[in-house]
Amino acid sequence: MASVTISNIRKSYGGLEVLHGIDLSVANGEFVVLLGPSGCGKSTLLRMVAGLEAINSGQISIGNVVVNDLHPKDRNIAMVFQNYALYAHLSVFDNMAFSMQLRKLPKDEIRRKVEWAASILNLTPYLDRQPRQLSGGQRQRVAMGRAIVRDPSVFLFDEPLSNLDAKLRVQMRTEIKELHHKLSTTIIYVTHDQIEAMTMADTIVVLRDGNIEQIGKPLEIYDRPANLFVAEFIGSPSMNFLSGEVGAEAGRPVVRANGVTLPLPLDAKVTAGQIVKYGIRPEHLRPGAGSEGIPAKVSVVEPTGPEIHIYADIGGQEVCSITQDRLELSPDDPIRLVPALDKIRLFEPATGKVINGPDESRPRTLLRA
Amino acid sequence: MQETFWQKRLRDVAAVLVVGLFMFPLFWWALTSFKPTSAIFDKDGIVWFDFKPTLVNYAVTMLGKSRAELAIESGNTFGIGGASSYDSRQTIIDSLIVAVGSTALTVLLAVMAAYALSRMRFFGRQAYLNWILSQRFMPPIAIIVPVVFMFHYMSLLDTRLGLVIVDTLINLPIAVLLMKSFYDDVPADVDEAAMIDGATRLQIFRRVVLPMVKGGVAATAVLCFIFSWTEFLLSLFLTNSIRTLPVKITTFVTSTGSEWGFIAALGTTAVIPSFIFILLVQKQLVRGLTLGSLKE
Ligand SMILES: Nc1ncnc2c1ncn2[C@@H]1O[C@H](COP(=O)(O)OP(=O)(O)OP(=O)(O)O)[C@@H](O)[C@H]1O
Ligand SMILES: [Mg+2]
Repeated sequence: MASVTISNIRKSYGGLEVLHGIDLSVANGEFVVLLGPSGCGKSTLLRMVAGLEAINSGQISIGNVVVNDLHPKDRNIAMVFQNYALYAHLSVFDNMAFSMQLRKLPKDEIRRKVEWAASILNLTPYLDRQPRQLSGGQRQRVAMGRAIVRDPSVFLFDEPLSNLDAKLRVQMRTEIKELHHKLSTTIIYVTHDQIEAMTMADTIVVLRDGNIEQIGKPLEIYDRPANLFVAEFIGSPSMNFLSGEVGAEAGRPVVRANGVTLPLPLDAKVTAGQIVKYGIRPEHLRPGAGSEGIPAKVSVVEPTGPEIHIYADIGGQEVCSITQDRLELSPDDPIRLVPALDKIRLFEPATGKVINGPDESRPRTLLRA
Repeated sequence: MQETFWQKRLRDVAAVLVVGLFMFPLFWWALTSFKPTSAIFDKDGIVWFDFKPTLVNYAVTMLGKSRAELAIESGNTFGIGGASSYDSRQTIIDSLIVAVGSTALTVLLAVMAAYALSRMRFFGRQAYLNWILSQRFMPPIAIIVPVVFMFHYMSLLDTRLGLVIVDTLINLPIAVLLMKSFYDDVPADVDEAAMIDGATRLQIFRRVVLPMVKGGVAATAVLCFIFSWTEFLLSLFLTNSIRTLPVKITTFVTSTGSEWGFIAALGTTAVIPSFIFILLVQKQLVRGLTLGSLKE
C-alpha cells in the first residue's frame, strides 16, 4: 500500500498538450476515480502513473519514491486494462502466475497465491481453462487476479468494465468495491461512466480537456458541483439549467427567465441585474399543488417504475422534474414546479463557475484557473 | 439467417463444384503418372481409365532405373529413348534442403523484424515499411543479372546455400509484412501488461507475443515453403548441376519430345511435401488465417 502524489504533470503528443499541469494526491488505501468525457486525458494520466507513457514535466511519486524514471515493473503497481490484455495462450493459472514465475518464486508459493486469488475472485473451477473459454466477466476477473497476486502498492484500472453488459457491470462494480474493502490497497480507477464513479469512489476527480475540474467525495461533487461542466456531467437525467437575470420581488431575490419568475433563497449571494444560469436537479424540482411553484407546460412524461420523469417547458426552456407520486399527466397539461430552495445552484454563464457554490477555499477542490 | 433446405443443398453443390474444378488438374496429373506412354497420347481419343496402370514413370524418376532397362524387363519396347538423366532423387533432396532452409531462415528473420516494426516507434518506421513493401513490387527477373555476378564473386553460384539465400531475400518482404499484421492483431496492452508483470522486452517477445502468433508463424512458413518449393527463375539462372524440382522438370522437355509420363510422376510426387507440411501445421494455419489472438 502506498500513497500517490502527482504534481504539475504535463503531457504533449507532438506539439499538442493533452494534460495541462495536473496536481493530485491520493492517500494510502484510497479509491480514487478519474472521471471525464472521452479524450480528456484520463488514460494518459493513468498510464503515466504506470510508467507506460513518458512524463514531459512534473513529478509522480508512489509512496515516498519519485518514480518518473522507474521502469513499470519497479513501481510495484498492477494494472487492469479495458480489453483485459490476457495472455491468450496461457491457462488462467499461468496468466496469474506469470509475474511470479518471472521473479522465480518457489512453485508452492506461486500455487498458494494463485489459489488464494482464485478463491477471492471465484475463479477456482476455471484455473485450467484458456482465456478464450471464459465469459467476459470471468476474463475481467482473471485480469484482476493477475493484478492482486502481485500484492502491489497501487492498483490501476483503465475502464475495466466498459466491455461488459449492463448487468454484469453492476455486479463487477460491487465485486471491485468488495475487493478494495478486503485488500484496502490504493486504487486509481479510470472511467467515463458517472454511475461507476459515484458508486465506487472514495474520491472523484473530474477531468476535462487535460485539466482537473473538481475533486471531492461523490456526494459532495453531486451536491456542490464547482462549475457548470461538473454539474452537467454528473447526474442522470442531468441538472436543469435556466438562463435568466437576477431581480427582486416582494423583497426577495429572484431570477427572471423569459418572463417567468424563479425563486431564490433569501441569502443568495447575487446582485440585481446579474445574468446567471439557474441550476436545479430534476429530483429537487417537484410538481406542486395548487398555485404554488413555477408555471410550466408538460411536454413528455416518462414513467421509469420507481419514479416518473416529467419533461416540461418553462418560458421556452426545457426542464426535467422527477416525482415518485403517481401523477396522471399528458402532454400540454399545465403544471406547477416547485424547486427546493436550498438545492438551487447559480452559475456565471461566462466562466461556468458556481456563484453560491461550495466554500471555494476547500483544500482539495481545485478550480479551473 | 436461417438457411432453407434448398439453399443448403445449393451451397453444398457449389462447394463440390469448386473443389472439383480445382482438384481436377491434380487428379488428371496423378492419373497420367500411372499411364503407359501409349495411354497418354492416343490418336483415337482421350483415355480415362481404360489402361493398364504402370509404375514405370515412378521407377524412372524416383528409383533411377533407365527406361531401356524397364522396357526390356517388361518386354514392351514401345517408345524407348533417353538415358537415366530422369533420375530425380537428388533433385528432391536439394529442393527440400533449399525450401526448408530458406523457410527457416525467412521465418526466423521475419518474426523478429516484424515484431520490432509492429511494436517499436522509431525514426523512419513508415518509410522503412514502405521500402519493404516496394521490395515486393520488384520482379525477380529485374535483379537476376546483378545477383548472378554477386553470387559468382561470392562463390555462391550453383550452391544450395546460394539458393537458400536468394529465396530468403525474395520471401522476406512478404513474410515481414504478413507477420506484422499478425502482431498488430495482438493488442499492445498485452505487451504492457507483461511489462508491468516484470518481463523484459525479450521475455515479452519469446514468452508472450510469439506464442500468441503461432498461427501466423505457421501461415507465413507455409507461404515461404511453397514459394521456395516452386521457385523457377532464380534457380534456373543460379544453378547448373544442382537442380531444383521446377528446373528439373523443364529438362524433361527434350528435343525429341516431352516425357509427359515422367513430368506427371515427378509433378505428382512434388505435391506430397507441401501437402505433408500443410497437414502438419493445419491447425495453426486455420487459426492463423482467421484470428491472431483473443479479441473482443
Ligand atoms: N499516442 C498518442 N498520440 C497522439 N495523441 C494521443 C495519443 N494518445 C492519446 N492522445 C490524445 O490525448 C488525449 C487524451 O487521450 P486519452 O487516451 O488519455 O483519453 P481518455 O480520457 O482516456 O479517453 P477515453 O475515455 O476515450 O479512453 C486525446 O485527445 C488523444 O487524442
Ligand atoms: Mg482511455
